[in-house]
Amino acid sequence: MARVVLDNISKVYPGEVHAVRNVSLEIEDQEFVVLVGPSGCGKSTTLRMIAGLEEITSGSIYIGDRPVNDVPPKDRDIAMVFQNYALYPHMSVYKNLAFGLKLRRYPKAEIERRVQTAAQILGIQDLLDRKPKALSGGQRQRVAVGRAIVRQPKAFLFDEPLSNLDAKMRVQMRTEISKLHTHLASTMIYVTHDQVEAMTMGDRIVVMRDGSIQQVADPLTLYHNPANLFVAGFIGSPPMNFFRGRIVSDRGRLFFDEGTFRLRLDGEQARMLKAHGKPDVYFGIRPEDLEDRLYLPDADPMLTIPAIVEVIEPMGSEIYLYLSTGLHSFVARVGVQVMTRVNEKLDMIVDLTKAHFFDAETERQIV
Amino acid sequence: MRKRKLLFALFFYTVSTAIVAFWLIPFIITVFTSTKGLDEIMTSREIWRPPLAMETSAFRTAWVEGHMRTYFRNTFLIATPSVLGCMFVASLSAFALAFYRFRFSRAVLMLFVGGMLIPFQMLLIPVYRLSTHFGLYNTLAGVILFHVGFQIGFCTFFLRNFMVTIPYSLFESARMDGASHLAIYRKIVLPLSLPAMAALAILEFTWIWNDYLWGLVLLQSDHLKTVTLGLANMQGQYVTQYNVMAAGSLLAAAIPIGVFLIFNRFFIEGLTVGAVKG
Repeated sequence: MARVVLDNISKVYPGEVHAVRNVSLEIEDQEFVVLVGPSGCGKSTTLRMIAGLEEITSGSIYIGDRPVNDVPPKDRDIAMVFQNYALYPHMSVYKNLAFGLKLRRYPKAEIERRVQTAAQILGIQDLLDRKPKALSGGQRQRVAVGRAIVRQPKAFLFDEPLSNLDAKMRVQMRTEISKLHTHLASTMIYVTHDQVEAMTMGDRIVVMRDGSIQQVADPLTLYHNPANLFVAGFIGSPPMNFFRGRIVSDRGRLFFDEGTFRLRLDGEQARMLKAHGKPDVYFGIRPEDLEDRLYLPDADPMLTIPAIVEVIEPMGSEIYLYLSTGLHSFVARVGVQVMTRVNEKLDMIVDLTKAHFFDAETERQIV
Repeated sequence: MRKRKLLFALFFYTVSTAIVAFWLIPFIITVFTSTKGLDEIMTSREIWRPPLAMETSAFRTAWVEGHMRTYFRNTFLIATPSVLGCMFVASLSAFALAFYRFRFSRAVLMLFVGGMLIPFQMLLIPVYRLSTHFGLYNTLAGVILFHVGFQIGFCTFFLRNFMVTIPYSLFESARMDGASHLAIYRKIVLPLSLPAMAALAILEFTWIWNDYLWGLVLLQSDHLKTVTLGLANMQGQYVTQYNVMAAGSLLAAAIPIGVFLIFNRFFIEGLTVGAVKG
């Protein structure tokens, strides 16, 4: 087990393609860190640099305090689970699991012991004699994880390991990998483009975009306190609603003016926005922090967004309302008691304590 | 609809059978000729008629007096190491070209492919002179070396194209498992390329077995000659013995046909396996 440190690493491909830019990250021993971001954000490249499959253009990587820049993958004492499983098709499951140990000349009895233990942890004892092609997707995934476990590496790397599975299997494997992390108590670095996977599995989440880190935080901090517009929009489903507008002052009070509606700002929020100075901002509010006025009769009328209902999606336990102010479209997540029809006018009350404001230019969070 | 299907099937099978029959005519005539007595051949012009009296002595004559035995041995001694050598070297170069990115790798591949396009007639004299220069003229080793050399281009191209269909993540996974470059080649890539290699080996064996030109250019002594050269020899020595020549041809053809019949399962698998891999 070990901590993994990325010190200002970059990857530049021929033709000045910057895949990863100055990424610095300290992953503690036994931590489960998830790298998440849209495709092409550099998360897989970062992982592959840790694995040693990709050369580092600049910066340093340390695994267990040892610099590994020039250490070949096999000597880094890490194991990787690939997206397409990468099982050796001509070998039985047993041989697939034993392959790495055999190459490292472990004694036969030790190999047997480790393979059996891994098989037991993953519940694949009955499959040891089968070839990969005789396995289902989920079973293959287990074997791929097993191949990493038997090595007892300092750190596990997962490269989108669940993206080839169907939705149900994905949820199941997700919890199994989380359990495995608790069981093995080892460092795990996990790459995914799926923010739900990231939120449910990671101790800490690293959100990446265009090769650089946007924010590193635990899931709830990321959700409630996103550093910028990108993180706010990326984490959460349905995503946060954004309204571009201006901060205006009227008779000594501060307002957010969208064009079709105004929200009155108070207290700390107002103070911070005033201090910020620049009037152009994005106002962000999550779908669950909007409520139909009908059910909040005492709400402050100055916190209302008047809108037209465009689409209604009943989800069973809740309803997603797709609304429009005329200038912006947004989503509200409301209780099943809300009765409305398409094209109906609806007043939505904003829970301003949960709102976020971002600088329109830098896209950084102001408050 | 069914009627149309039936009609099409009828048409298809009729035409196919006709083509096969047409294709087999020379072969059948050769079989007939080899089992006829010399008298019958000389007195009758009807070469497509079965023999009036079956005789098998021509096979014996070809084998013993026509030295087919020696030619067979020589051809085996050339074809087997040539195929093995070619498979070994080409699989290594194909492995490198399929899995490693290095400077000029593309140029090297192009060189292999380009080499295949040079007409061999152009090479007859250079090859001959090269072989005398290195003392390889009139030796089996010389023929083997040239066969290996000439076939590497095609074999590398063929195997490389197969190997690039092996997922690259297997290669990376093996690297992380601690496999050396040679171990990846031996334990991952080679076993997975076996179907392609089997197909290629059969093809190469047939080509080298049937080779006439390089044997003609590089061999002089009768005791080193290959089957195809031996057959040509018979034309001089036994100019009138068509039945012996036909028997010799059949014996020569029996080996590649036998190899194909035994291994044709691998052959067809090998030619198609790359195409359907996910």
